[in-house]
Amino acid sequence: MTTNRRIYLDHSATTPVDPRVAAAMARTLTENYGNPSSVHGFGQQARSAVDRARREVAALIGAKPNEIVFTSGGTEANNLAIRGLCEAAAAQGRHIVTSAIEHPSVRGVCDALEKRGWEVTRLPVYDNGIIRLEDLNAAIRADTVLVTLMWANNEIGTIQPIHEVGTLIRERRAAQGGQSQRHLWFHTDAVQAAGRLWLNVDEAGCDLLSMSAHKLYAPKGIGALYVRRGVRLAVQNVGGHQERERRAGTENVPAIVAFGEAAKLEREEMRERVAHDSALRDRFESRVQELISDVVMNGDREHRLSHLSNISFRFIEGEGLLINLDLEGVAVSTGSACSSGTLEPSPVIRALGVSEEVARGSIRFSFGKDNTEADVDYVVDVLSRAVERLRALSPLSIASH
Amino acid sequence: MSYSQKFKDHLAHPRNAGELPDANAVGDQRNPACGDRLRLSLIVKNDYIEGARYLAYGCPPTLVCGSVLTELITGKTISEARQMTKTDVIDAIGGLPSRKHHAAALAIETLKTALDNEAKF
Repeated sequence: MTTNRRIYLDHSATTPVDPRVAAAMARTLTENYGNPSSVHGFGQQARSAVDRARREVAALIGAKPNEIVFTSGGTEANNLAIRGLCEAAAAQGRHIVTSAIEHPSVRGVCDALEKRGWEVTRLPVYDNGIIRLEDLNAAIRADTVLVTLMWANNEIGTIQPIHEVGTLIRERRAAQGGQSQRHLWFHTDAVQAAGRLWLNVDEAGCDLLSMSAHKLYAPKGIGALYVRRGVRLAVQNVGGHQERERRAGTENVPAIVAFGEAAKLEREEMRERVAHDSALRDRFESRVQELISDVVMNGDREHRLSHLSNISFRFIEGEGLLINLDLEGVAVSTGSACSSGTLEPSPVIRALGVSEEVARGSIRFSFGKDNTEADVDYVVDVLSRAVERLRALSPLSIASH
Repeated sequence: MSYSQKFKDHLAHPRNAGELPDANAVGDQRNPACGDRLRLSLIVKNDYIEGARYLAYGCPPTLVCGSVLTELITGKTISEARQMTKTDVIDAIGGLPSRKHHAAALAIETLKTALDNEAKF
């Protein structure tokens, strides 16, 4: 069966572009096309648009404008942060501390550095999806140069104790005598957190922070890395003076303007967006628990993003459920993937210590500002029927009843 | 990944789901690599497959191959059914990405197991 109704519940993957953001971008594309590096008026007009956007993005995280480096997105920001920091600090040490549930872009850079001789400690998360400070404290060694921990997780939405981590790192740096670790830096991947939580880089005590615009109702292909003043990075893109010599290449002016506009709107509207999303999420979760048996809510109930719900439906597999929902116009995502006959259940859900079957049955629902209560009710209805249909097929379900 | 309309139709409307209480041939197979499972119950009479039902757990191709298989084998003789290959199943779905071919292989293996078991009745 197909339907004309389309409901997007995958805002953690990406968000629709806000019309106000699109309008700002379109104006820039046609009217403000100068190269910000050019000395003439066209160039200077573009330069001032980039500067304005930089101030807006900085304000979203309590940073100074000259601490913002625009990148092509969150993945590049994570690459620049981790690779850039580790290469610059290689003489001080070659040990990285990270977690078991990082985004693939962080995991991938850490794995690549590990192959080149760096040592990586991956902190476990417990059944709530959150690291423990005592594990972090024990993992930091004399040769640790970087701690990289995501602010909020992209699959289960759990929020890490970033402020406490920042405090711990500051304490380790300030320790007296031979215990002092002056060359210890802290990066946080805030791609999922930016615009959904109040972020302040000084309160968090982070040195580097990654963001992506397309999670904030701005277009894809633009992101930013916050680099605290004084933090040295080995440049990954050379051949130009842009972004204070940290990222060569002509600035993507229209996308930067869009990011700036989205950051401004986010600051102005975050309170109501969070209230809206969390009300829908809570309505959704309570109705799911009412109507569908054998569900497992993944991740900490309290310390998590307000727009996201990750639920495992026992006895069935996520992708089959995803396609069933898609056929009824509902877009969600699943972390499980099966390729070449080798199962790859989400490493994030597996890190919670759940069974393979629970990991395979996990679905992420992520709400956004344009969703409505009627959307939630429709989705719950479609979902409960799809779950029932798939369970009627499942030998696991038959065996358990 | 994009699947065919036929594939999606089987996923949304599984054919012959469940078990046959009076089956005389039952096969149960599990893909050891990914944990997918398929269970087939058949009624075989006078060398013909008169009825088939399936249960499946796993990725969508596994569910769909089970559904399609029951349609393909109903009415076939045992020797016709034994000659079937995973290509027959894949063709009947309207194609399957090569990395998902194991799902069709699981369907054929389950069929063979069921028919082997029938011989023991």
